Amino acid sequence: MSDPGQQTAPKGKGRSAVAAREHARQVKADRVKRERRRRLLLTVGAPVLVVVLVIVGFVVVKASRTPAVATGAAAAPAGTTLESALKNIPAATFDTVGSGTGVGAPTKVAGAALTADGKPRVLYIGAEFCPYCAGERWAVAAALSRFGTFSNLGATASASADIYPSTATLSFHGATYTSPLLSFTGVELTTNIPDKTSSYGYQLLDTPTAADQQTAQTYNPKGSIPLVDFGNKYVIAGASYDVGILQGMTQTQIAAQMAQTDSVVAQQVIGAANMMTAALCTMTGNQPAAVCKSTAVISVKLPS
Amino acid sequence: MTTRSNTQGDPESTGVHTSIPGRIAFLLSILGVLVSAYLTYEHYTDSATLACSDNGAVNCLKVTTSPWSEILGVPVAVTGLAYFLVMAVLCAPLPFTRHLEALRLVGVAAGTLMVLWLIYVELFKVDAICLWCTAIHLITLLLLGAVLWSRQTDLTDQ
Repeated sequence: MSDPGQQTAPKGKGRSAVAAREHARQVKADRVKRERRRRLLLTVGAPVLVVVLVIVGFVVVKASRTPAVATGAAAAPAGTTLESALKNIPAATFDTVGSGTGVGAPTKVAGAALTADGKPRVLYIGAEFCPYCAGERWAVAAALSRFGTFSNLGATASASADIYPSTATLSFHGATYTSPLLSFTGVELTTNIPDKTSSYGYQLLDTPTAADQQTAQTYNPKGSIPLVDFGNKYVIAGASYDVGILQGMTQTQIAAQMAQTDSVVAQQVIGAANMMTAALCTMTGNQPAAVCKSTAVISVKLPS
Repeated sequence: MTTRSNTQGDPESTGVHTSIPGRIAFLLSILGVLVSAYLTYEHYTDSATLACSDNGAVNCLKVTTSPWSEILGVPVAVTGLAYFLVMAVLCAPLPFTRHLEALRLVGVAAGTLMVLWLIYVELFKVDAICLWCTAIHLITLLLLGAVLWSRQTDLTDQ
């Protein structure tokens, strides 16, 4: 028979060894669990966090941006510098750009000749709030400036709450166009100042004559703007190019970009102006020859 | 002696993908299908019944009728619907989806990149936020998390 006292000591040691092993297993299990959690956080949390940070970055950049030009205000005078810049775009610039890139052609129509003061007439109907009109005016002004001279052009921007917000542009409201070959009517239906009582949602500005309304209705039954009618020979309803390329630029910057033949702005705005110039030449009997026989106009193919 | 039938749904015997994150991914895909189906319906009905503000910074109509609401002539809403249908199949608790981990990862990566592009367009091109689109963006982001979680769980179990 063994001594009970001698039996107890090994039993105690055994128990503590078991407890130690259990403790070690527990520590190991905890470590494995922590490692799993860390890996999970890394593989799931990190990519999601990166995406969230990119989105937050977008929002911060957006919040810190201010419109390049004032909007929601009456058009200011464009000034003679801008008018002169449009008037004096070198013929070589038009020739180099030619038909440009991404430019839509006007639609050929066959109505009774649109005239005023014994001259073929160009009718533009748009609105200052309208972003597509904002883009189209640059090409219209550049093309018409090859046949005559604008004065009192306005400087404004499309609505800040519309697509292509606050696109810097000109305004034909109150502007005068003088040309020995062409007559021009520029109708700006509204300002860019919101007005909930107006049918367009913006303060009303110019009212087209009944005859011009009828013309617009004939060639553009949907009533979309802008509408440019080249003497009832060609019509453009909508934008001729991607207006988004003008985003964030001021009038001065756009005019400067128009002079750089390899810029996207020149390729589209001057390209559209060349297309319009070709349409204008069909109205003037290809006068002046320096314009209508130029490489720029010859390179453009109008629908027949 | 009893035998376990495959019809009892034992994941090991049926090969069905039934982890919790896997099920969450499937439910998120179904939710994505429902929201994008609604946006597709609105797209083809001129957004006549679109339940969302139409003025100010939150303007669903402005977003869903903008030129960017279509890519190469295909409405973004339709693309979204097709995307979530595919993701729902890839994440479905079906035997064959257990081995489609790589496709699921490619799917959520593509969806996440698309979401970033669409948020960029909303903020910098259209200048308006569409709440329904934001719901889709959120679902896609959660789907990314669920698929990654599911993958990590599978790797740990192996």
